[in-house]
Amino acid sequence: MTDPLLAVETRGLSRLFDGKPAVVSLDLRVPAGAFYGFLGPNGAGKSTTMKMLTGLLRPTSGEARVLGADLSREGLSVKGRIGVVPDGLALFERLSGAEMLRIQGQLYGLDRAVAARRAAELLEAMELAAEGGKLVQDYSHGMKKKLALACALIHGPELLFLDEPFEGIDAVAVSGIRRMLQDLVARRSLTIFLTSHVLEVVERLVTHVGIIHRGELIAQGSLEEVRATGSLEETFIRLVGDERPAGPGLSWLGARESGE
Amino acid sequence: MTTELRALVELRARLLWRRFTSRGGIVEGVASVVLLAIAVPIGIGFAVAIGFGAFQAVRAGTGLRADVGAAAIFFGLWQTWTAVSLTLNDREGLDLRRFLVFPVPPGKVYAMGLLTGIVGDPMGVVWGAMLGGVLVGAAVARPGPWLVLLLLLLVLFAAATIILVALVQEVLSAVLTTRRIREWAMLGSVGVSVGVLALLLWSSDRPFRAAADLLPTLKVVQWIAWPAALSAAAARDLFAGRALASLPWFAALALATALTGWISFRIAIWQARGAGSSGEVASSGPSPVGLGFRGGRFGALVEKEARYLFRQPLARVDAFLAPVIMAFVTLKLEPRIPAEAGEVIRALPLFGAAVYAHLLLQAFWLNAFGWERGGVRAYFLAPIDLGAVLRAKALVLYLFSLLLFLASAAVMAALGKGTAPGWAFGGALVLHAAMAPWLLLSGNLVSILRPKAASFAIQRSSAVSAFSGLIGMGIISASMALFAVPALLALRAESPATLVAGWGFLGLLGAWAFRKGIPREARLLADRRDEFLPAICGDDT
Repeated sequence: MTDPLLAVETRGLSRLFDGKPAVVSLDLRVPAGAFYGFLGPNGAGKSTTMKMLTGLLRPTSGEARVLGADLSREGLSVKGRIGVVPDGLALFERLSGAEMLRIQGQLYGLDRAVAARRAAELLEAMELAAEGGKLVQDYSHGMKKKLALACALIHGPELLFLDEPFEGIDAVAVSGIRRMLQDLVARRSLTIFLTSHVLEVVERLVTHVGIIHRGELIAQGSLEEVRATGSLEETFIRLVGDERPAGPGLSWLGARESGE
Repeated sequence: MTTELRALVELRARLLWRRFTSRGGIVEGVASVVLLAIAVPIGIGFAVAIGFGAFQAVRAGTGLRADVGAAAIFFGLWQTWTAVSLTLNDREGLDLRRFLVFPVPPGKVYAMGLLTGIVGDPMGVVWGAMLGGVLVGAAVARPGPWLVLLLLLLVLFAAATIILVALVQEVLSAVLTTRRIREWAMLGSVGVSVGVLALLLWSSDRPFRAAADLLPTLKVVQWIAWPAALSAAAARDLFAGRALASLPWFAALALATALTGWISFRIAIWQARGAGSSGEVASSGPSPVGLGFRGGRFGALVEKEARYLFRQPLARVDAFLAPVIMAFVTLKLEPRIPAEAGEVIRALPLFGAAVYAHLLLQAFWLNAFGWERGGVRAYFLAPIDLGAVLRAKALVLYLFSLLLFLASAAVMAALGKGTAPGWAFGGALVLHAAMAPWLLLSGNLVSILRPKAASFAIQRSSAVSAFSGLIGMGIISASMALFAVPALLALRAESPATLVAGWGFLGLLGAWAFRKGIPREARLLADRRDEFLPAICGDDT
């Protein structure tokens, strides 16, 4: 299974937790240069899949090739070519934003001076330049997300993994990040693999879509192929299904007397 | 108890229960029981000794024996209690910040945090047993209703000590966390030290001896240790049968405790409410830490480690305490070493400082990744050898420990009476270096197998799990036993060269084991990432 036109290719990729399947026999095909949206409801297996593709989690079974290399055998070389913004981020909170970025660049093999220069440019691009000397722990959630994205970009990756990049950040920041990602895909042959709950934003960004439900891939292809005639949200709800029962009455909400 | 406090108690109980019933919890539970099993006989042993002291003091009633007995009991207990709590504190408490959102008075949460901290501390058993020993010793010597007052005094003394320790921790944490204050504090302490040394040089032809001679004359210093001083004063009256005369001391003790508790709480709440900002702004320019490691992945790892360690409140407190504790050891222990004792014996305090510099940092080598939380993912995402990560951590921790040892040795040289032989410093350096690879290599293993997410709030969280703490005790005991062998041989032969050669050999052996062991530990870390990452980051895969 080696297709040079595929940035990510998995076959039978599975992961069990305490014997329970989280991801089941996944066959992903992410074309090189695509903006791939990996969608699914909460607990569907999106983050688990991303962790397996980035080396944070070992698959129970199956194969994964990233940028044409076997992840299990050539993990180190693959890591140098990808950038990752994982769920929960990977930031050292007791470093300043500028230090975090520069050290991250050095960990990816950049010379210190080059890493420092790129760090300054990225802080500027992310509108964090004024906060570069502040410790990461003092950043807001949105600022941390932007810094994490900058960290993932500093070494110039060929493939970018973003786990819920728009979660918990304001509309202005979403718009800024969205523009930057579109620009990155348009400017060079960068592949982006993204998970998100914000279907409206995803629909405006992605070229390809994969939908996972209960650990199984239930749809995959170009955006047009998957959504057919409807919107992405309609297709998503139709495929995943709204199986939640109606909520209870909660009649006590709004009532003044309490403490029963 | 209010509904809110009941909920808090239930929360603590449930979290504790979950800790022991979750994966690996049984091991933690067994480790806690073993720690208690170790603490109980130690506590009983000390309780018998201190009880005998109390028995003699009460029997004497008045006079030098009673006075010295009361002072020895309370000052001795207070000093060890405070030193252990400040340096090896590993209690699990309540994080005030998390509870500010609830409609529960923060004062109650703080008080409960102190209480649960003591309950969860295995050393609490030792202190409790020792206080019990005082009561039993006094009861055997002179039964009577006055014992109720003595019991009250012991409870007040315990509360005063706990609260004073909390205040010291809050103050150290607040002062040493804010960069500007930290810098001024450091400048101030350097200035005072230089000034005192200059004064001594000017006033005496024996400057180092004069420093030691000056201290005992400062009798007023005893009131700094007010939990012990006020308790000892009350106890003197109680032992002499003057219950009424002891009451003003009781009142003073209660008042001082309440005041200290209030100040401690105010600082804690000030810190908790200001937790959104560390107040720390890192320099954007090149720093001395980074200059030595300008490039490469390993240099970046070392720089990251150094910056992390220096910004760590626990490390700052350790750096502050190491010379202070060793100053006490020098002043108390060194005068008791006779001049005719052999060279090896006279060098022991300095060797103790070398070992203590490692012991103080055990939370860091037993839980090397604990404070990195989500950042630890970077090691697995970046194209770096995990062995390099372990080596960088070991190097920085060794250098920091060396710094603590050098600071302690300088203080000991200044305050000591010059009993240590000339070669002792070199020998202690060899001992310090030789122990490092053994401790760091085994510490890495514990860090990988029993990782624990740790909090930067030093007062309200434990840095290592009970199991790691127990293993840490084993590692330290084994290392000390190993390094005691050359010491025993040297004592027998009265040959310092044997000692240094023996430690040097063990150090080389340790370095070889470290070199061989690190790649294996790196593989283990990579293999265990599925369990390791959630334990440190709290991942919800």
